[in-house]
Amino acid sequence: MSKKPTSQPALHKVIMVGSGGVGKSALTLQFMYDEFVEDYEPTKADSYRKKILLDGEEVQIDILDTAGQEDYAAIRDNYFRSGEGFLCIFSITEEESFQATQDFREQILRVKNDENIPFLLVGNKCDLEDKRKVSFQEASERAKQWGVTYVETSAKTREHVDKVFYDLMREIRARKMEENKTSNGKGKDKNKRKKLKCTIL
Amino acid sequence: MTTIRHTLQQEVFQPNEERLLAACHVEKLYKKKKASFLCIVSNTKPPLTISLIQIKQSEKTYKRKRSWNLVELKSVDGKNVLADNLEFDLHLDKLYRWVASSAQERQLFIITLWRQSSKYFLKEKPVFKNVPETWIREDVLTPENKFISSPILTLENDITEDFKAITDKEQEDLSSLMANCEFAISNAEAFMEVLARDLSLLDGENVQYLLASEAKVESLMNLLESAVDEADKIEQRLDEYDEILCHVKETMEKMEKKNSMISTVNKNNILLLKELEIIIKQLDLPRKFQDILDDADLTNTQGLKQAIEAGNALRDAMNCQLDPALLRMSAVQEQRKKFEKYKDKFSRAICRQLNNLFIHYGNHKGESDRNTEGLVLPQHSMVHKELIPYTELMHWIKIMDRKASEALKKVYTDSLGKLYDRDVHNLFEAAKEKIAPLGQVSTPTRNLALLGLDREQWTLEVISDDRQRYEIIIEQVLTQLEPVCLQEQQFCVTFFQLDILSPTSKNTQTTLDGMGAEVNVLPSKKAEKQVHEEVRNMMTSLFSCLEEELLSFIGYIEKYDPFHCMYVLVHLNQHVMSAQSSFLSNTLASVLIHMKRTLDRFMQLQIDSIKDCKIARKSKCGILPYVLNLEEFAKLADVLLKSDRRIDLEKWYIRLVDTMIEFINVHANEHHKTPPQVIKMENYHYLYSLLSQLKISVLDNQRKEAKQKYNEALAAYVTHYFGRPLEKLNIFFEGVQAKVASGVKASEISYQLAFSKQELRKVISQYPGSTVKKGLESLYKKVEKHLSEEGLVQVVWRAMQEEFIRQYKMLEDLIQQCYPGSMIALEFTIDDILNFFSDIARSH
Repeated sequence: MSKKPTSQPALHKVIMVGSGGVGKSALTLQFMYDEFVEDYEPTKADSYRKKILLDGEEVQIDILDTAGQEDYAAIRDNYFRSGEGFLCIFSITEEESFQATQDFREQILRVKNDENIPFLLVGNKCDLEDKRKVSFQEASERAKQWGVTYVETSAKTREHVDKVFYDLMREIRARKMEENKTSNGKGKDKNKRKKLKCTIL
Repeated sequence: MTTIRHTLQQEVFQPNEERLLAACHVEKLYKKKKASFLCIVSNTKPPLTISLIQIKQSEKTYKRKRSWNLVELKSVDGKNVLADNLEFDLHLDKLYRWVASSAQERQLFIITLWRQSSKYFLKEKPVFKNVPETWIREDVLTPENKFISSPILTLENDITEDFKAITDKEQEDLSSLMANCEFAISNAEAFMEVLARDLSLLDGENVQYLLASEAKVESLMNLLESAVDEADKIEQRLDEYDEILCHVKETMEKMEKKNSMISTVNKNNILLLKELEIIIKQLDLPRKFQDILDDADLTNTQGLKQAIEAGNALRDAMNCQLDPALLRMSAVQEQRKKFEKYKDKFSRAICRQLNNLFIHYGNHKGESDRNTEGLVLPQHSMVHKELIPYTELMHWIKIMDRKASEALKKVYTDSLGKLYDRDVHNLFEAAKEKIAPLGQVSTPTRNLALLGLDREQWTLEVISDDRQRYEIIIEQVLTQLEPVCLQEQQFCVTFFQLDILSPTSKNTQTTLDGMGAEVNVLPSKKAEKQVHEEVRNMMTSLFSCLEEELLSFIGYIEKYDPFHCMYVLVHLNQHVMSAQSSFLSNTLASVLIHMKRTLDRFMQLQIDSIKDCKIARKSKCGILPYVLNLEEFAKLADVLLKSDRRIDLEKWYIRLVDTMIEFINVHANEHHKTPPQVIKMENYHYLYSLLSQLKISVLDNQRKEAKQKYNEALAAYVTHYFGRPLEKLNIFFEGVQAKVASGVKASEISYQLAFSKQELRKVISQYPGSTVKKGLESLYKKVEKHLSEEGLVQVVWRAMQEEFIRQYKMLEDLIQQCYPGSMIALEFTIDDILNFFSDIARSH
């Protein structure tokens, strides 16, 4: 048993976005608890927190699992705003969900006002190869166009599940370190600094 | 019967000139009561015929019923050769079956029948079956056989003399005679003359012969007389011999008697000798052994070997099976006393030697030296090895001298017990030292690690490395105990014969201890139990301090690590299961029970601490300490949860988490700033998430319950806090809804004074877009202030946005319904709201 933790581990906030039924919650639950839930129940919003070791460093990941269907897109503004990194998910078996990623990307960029926000394009349900509607090529091209990575996952088989979360967290961490450098001395608290930056922008 | 015959002859046959030969009173077989007489009858006038006539008697008269000629008779069946048989069959024109009224009549009847038939039917005689052979012989009615004398028979004899049938031979002779005298027929007179002449000739010859034989007869008589004399002489001599032989016989008999007596005496003597030989053989103790027993040298192997041999011989001699009667013999008594003396002396010698050895080994150092790394409980196999040669002597003592054996056992346990006490004590002291130097434990304050306390307040100074070290140490200690205990137990069992309840051989007659001679045989299960008991008693006195030391050691660990019960329980359990020594297994089991109680106390303490948890007076309540601490707790308890004894913990886990769920609700109302719903929401959310991660299967229900409570709290918080930004509008329209519910038509609401268009306009005017925006902003700030975790802020805020839009739409709908065409609308649109939301999002 360790003595009282002297400092809280770094907190990385990840937002799961994507159309309804593409498997955002399934990916989250698989990552959090190693379980795969077959029953589909639309999510409104769920928050998860977990301590993990990222390249030997203990960090805390905060995952906000969001609703795929939302009557008013503006409702999302607030939590997009709070996110430090995004997993934009579509189902490779559903063309529409792939198209919807475009809107999500735009909204995120608008709200965050940052072209380089940590972002991964994720094609889920890759275990259902025989029902594939979106080719790897097509998705890769879009990712390339956005300047982000494209990864295919399966929440069911757990393929690449850890990878997408860890990759995203590495991006977030790199991003934060970069910001620290550029604004060193301005304050240790990233949140405050970011807030400051936001108002300037 | 005779009268009936007579009557029959007189009345029935005489008139017909017939003669009754035999009669038999018969009944027909199977038809009783139809009595009749069967009669054999011959006519008195030639030609001679014999008939069988059945006479029936009616009233006093007799009537002929049926009659057959004897020629018709084909067979007679007597049925049975026995004399008393009454049945017989006659086959005449058909088969007639009869039953005679008396055996005698039947016999006579059948005999007569046979005689008549053999007399008169020369060619075809009827067949006689199943008739006694004596009846159907020629001489059957000769005077010797004639047991029946009846007048009829004699009568019959006369008749037969008169009428003799000419036999074939006579006929032949007659015819040849006639042929010789061809004239016979022509001249009968001449023939008679010839015959008379012949006859007189023959007569004369006959007389001559008779006279000639007289002289011969006389000489024959003389001869006979002399023969008789000779015979008399021989007889006399024989008598003499006989007399002599009688004497001899008497003498022989006497001799025979004497002889058998001699052989009995001989046999007895042999038996006696044999018995004596056995006794002497059994009770004899060779001189050599006597010397050894007198002065036993138990210090070297040679002497020991001899001593064992001599001891065994003595034991055999003393335990030999003798007839109780023989024990009264003074020689036997004497010998036994002698044995007793040897026994005492020998036993004393053994006791002295073993006593010395036991006390000597009480100071044994043990094989392994202490300076090796790690914790070591020295083994004493050397002691055992050196004592093993004495095993037989020990067994001897056990059989021969129970008291001495008990005393020796006590000396052994006392002196070796001290040795083990020291060893065990040293082991545990060393172990304690390894956990922490003894001097350092100056502060006896117990470490506190209670769920109900803030993590900062846990004075748990143990870090996980230390805990691993403790686990290793306790494992080492337990591992050390195993071989030593097992070895000692095995040694004790063989050396002291603990596995045998009663001495191997009974020394019933010869030992004078007078201990219960017959050990009643216990049922095997009970006996086994008693053996275990004995082994355990001995081991307990040898390792008297073991349990105490172990407990004190565990207590020592407890001072450093209150969570010790988790892993100590696991390790103890493993060793209880694996320990081969029944004593150690039992001891560890009782320590295990102690630990189980410690665990129970510990868990109860945890639960109590949850109940007593004090809410920190911070601006934000956040996650309650016990919910927060559960993760750490689970980590520490994991070792137990993964072991065989998980049930002990699972039971407590359920209680623990149930208590948490219960007390989150209680403690939620105790914070002065944070609203209860927020406390509940955050804590249930955290608990749910934690339980999902821990995946403790028995807590699945609690996990679901936590999730449900989280959702309930979230809903309660959102709706409860949401009324604020448009409070007056809400109140106004609640009034409207109440009116509608009480029966007022929606379209007529505007005519109500309190709910006129005027009033509505007034209320609406209080909520211009800017005010609403400010209200929403302050609501957002409040939510941020209440909640400690940003993720949940997003969740709550999202729910609030949704709720706000829902309410806005509801208000719009109500206005449309109740104030149609009034052109009244809220002063802000849905787009305004969405913009407000975006602005709020952008503002932080």
